[in-house]
Amino acid sequence: MTIAVLPARLANQIAAGEVVERPASVVKELIENSLDAGATKLHIDIEKGGSKRIRIIDNGCGIEKDELCLALSRHATSKIKTLDDLERIASLGFRGEALASISSVSRLILISKPKSQSSAWQASAEGRDMAVKIQPAAHPDGTTIEVQDLFFNTPARRKFLRTEKTEFTHIDEVIRRIALARFDVAITLTHNGKTVRQYPALHDKKLYSKRVAKICGQKFIDHAITVDCQHEGLTLWGWIAQPDFYRSQNDLSYSYVNGRMMRDKLINHAIRQAYTDRLPHEAYPAFVLYFHLDHHDVDVNVHPAKHEVRFHQARYVHDFIYSVVHQALMSAQNSLDALAATNTVATPPITARDDHLNEASVTETQRDYITPLRYVNEKTAEQYNARQAASSVHKAPARIESLSSASQAYQALLTTPAVDPVETKHAITNPDSLSGEHYQVLTLLQDHYALIEQQAATEKILLLVAVMPFALFKEQMQLQQRWQSGLTSQPLLLPQQLEFSRDEVQWLNKQQALMQQAGIFYQVKDATHIQVRQFPAYLRQHNVQKALTDLVEKLKIIKNQALSGKDYCQALASIGLNTDFTPQSVQNLFNQLQIEQNDKFKQLIDLNSVSVDLTSLLSKLN
Amino acid sequence: MLEHVLGASAGSRPEPDFPHLSIELKTLPINRFGKPLETTFVCVAPLTNLVGVTWHNCHLRHKLARVLWVPIIAEREIPIAERIIATPFIWSPSQEEEQLMAQDWQELTDMIVLGKVEQITGKYGQVLQLRPKAANSQAKTKAFNHQGKPFLTLPRGFYLKTAFTHEILKKHLRID
Repeated sequence: MTIAVLPARLANQIAAGEVVERPASVVKELIENSLDAGATKLHIDIEKGGSKRIRIIDNGCGIEKDELCLALSRHATSKIKTLDDLERIASLGFRGEALASISSVSRLILISKPKSQSSAWQASAEGRDMAVKIQPAAHPDGTTIEVQDLFFNTPARRKFLRTEKTEFTHIDEVIRRIALARFDVAITLTHNGKTVRQYPALHDKKLYSKRVAKICGQKFIDHAITVDCQHEGLTLWGWIAQPDFYRSQNDLSYSYVNGRMMRDKLINHAIRQAYTDRLPHEAYPAFVLYFHLDHHDVDVNVHPAKHEVRFHQARYVHDFIYSVVHQALMSAQNSLDALAATNTVATPPITARDDHLNEASVTETQRDYITPLRYVNEKTAEQYNARQAASSVHKAPARIESLSSASQAYQALLTTPAVDPVETKHAITNPDSLSGEHYQVLTLLQDHYALIEQQAATEKILLLVAVMPFALFKEQMQLQQRWQSGLTSQPLLLPQQLEFSRDEVQWLNKQQALMQQAGIFYQVKDATHIQVRQFPAYLRQHNVQKALTDLVEKLKIIKNQALSGKDYCQALASIGLNTDFTPQSVQNLFNQLQIEQNDKFKQLIDLNSVSVDLTSLLSKLN
Repeated sequence: MLEHVLGASAGSRPEPDFPHLSIELKTLPINRFGKPLETTFVCVAPLTNLVGVTWHNCHLRHKLARVLWVPIIAEREIPIAERIIATPFIWSPSQEEEQLMAQDWQELTDMIVLGKVEQITGKYGQVLQLRPKAANSQAKTKAFNHQGKPFLTLPRGFYLKTAFTHEILKKHLRID
């Protein structure tokens, strides 16, 4: 097994596997090319169901002689140039695969004459490497593509071709779909030399229904309701059949997205849902609908034959289509009822209905399914209020109230807590600039002692420092800052009964107020028991019983004086202190203290350090 | 029963249990280590009439705007009369919690609207879950299938996953 690059023809044949399924797909691809070239007149000749010959003559912009060669090679296209273009595809094609694929499974001749060129040139690709041969030809402005002997070199594919008639029916269906997409293009279709379809170009919107009648049947148009609704960049227009004109197959469901014919699940789903129970279970609605939206909001690059697209705001699109179709059906139903009741011709004025439709869709304002996590602002909330009030579905006034209170809660949520100014100062201020002295933590000894290098103006001194007093001081300071407002307290899952001595319980009983400020809530149960309900979040990591016993012990030592918040903070800090120091955490601690409490820091250094002189030790080494 | 004792009036109506306080009461069975034993039912998930419904006006969000959680230590072995009611607390979703719920709600609701109700399993959603309401497999409700045709299916409910309720408990209560 060796790895080798596939010959061009084989690569194209592989690609052809998904793009060119049958003659009808060739017709589709070629006509889309013509339409992208701006053709207004199409002549399609089919022989033997397309397996013998497919010829398409258009009056589009044509291909210049120099580009004929490129046109037949794979991944060559004039329709997009960059990735950005791919994200907003306005043309029908964009892959640059169709011509190359088709020419790899057939004998393809391409004749083209742009207006600017005085004569026409013909290109054909042959052989293993698909070398393109170019020769002069005679042709009016535009392009002719002739595809002969489709699948002549891929017998496997040929086996899948059905009878001439079936294949032609498929082609006819493609033409019908395209004819419905482009009313302004004249289309002629012949089969074995006989003209089968002829659709003259229509330029007046009022006449469009004539072509629809021709393609979908007069009966469809007679039962159709016209739809035309625009809303926030989305447009839906076309015809939907009244529910009594249903189909047992979905052969009359034509939907177009930005002029591209679709068999999109989402669209069909929305439409079917709008009919709900009006249709029998196994029935399909009949419709011809055109949906337009910004090219940015839809991804066409999903399916090789582009039958399906992906909407960036799928549910929004779904709801839009649903609402429009649903409203149209409802108002048609109402006018029918009115008709039956009064027995007079009371067609509702079209403008009124359009207004109604618009109104229905206006209610969808400000919905943004793509970014559901963005918080609603007051304005939209109010709109929703108004909407809910107007809507007959949601009548409950209580809900509206709770809605506005919810939006207030949002406002509260939105206000981000102000960043602690002290915190920011740490980040930007260099401790050196304040004190002129720098303390560099070198290492920790026995976990709680730090070897630091003090860098004063001229000399460096080694100091051995006990870390605990520093950490305690800082912890206590922080607790004291929060003391006034009371420490954060957490309820226990279950109240906890603790045993103390009589003496202690009496003492605890007197201390309730201060204890509550510390976040410890309890009730005295009897002479030797208290029940703890809440405990400070600060002591989250500590066992309730042990922490409280420690606290009582520490505080009772100074019991003859009246206890202050400071005493509490000191005791709590000594219990809750995290003693897992690292050189980095000690360094941060020092820096911070130096900035905030430089005097105290110096005092602590003086009290808790010994200088280390290594000179004598060093001399021993020499 | 607890609802009754505390004077909740809404029953299963689409409004908070205590309408005048707009507080929803939720009992939360937990084991003795404070871990929720089951997912928490929030409300019935509407399968139709979802046009125009967004997170901001959806029923679920109203229900969970303010909740009085009542954890109950209710392991199976403990007889009902001996189950212990633990410390109840009032909760409103934090910004992150709300985001998580909104995300899940969005995903699940989109699936419902686009006719994929039947494909939704308990695996969808980080904090919310959509699954059939247990009680009775005979009761059916209307929904739309993937073709947009109406059909009958089991009524679904939104449930809060246990990991989420556990987080809420841990955040609001001290659990040793």
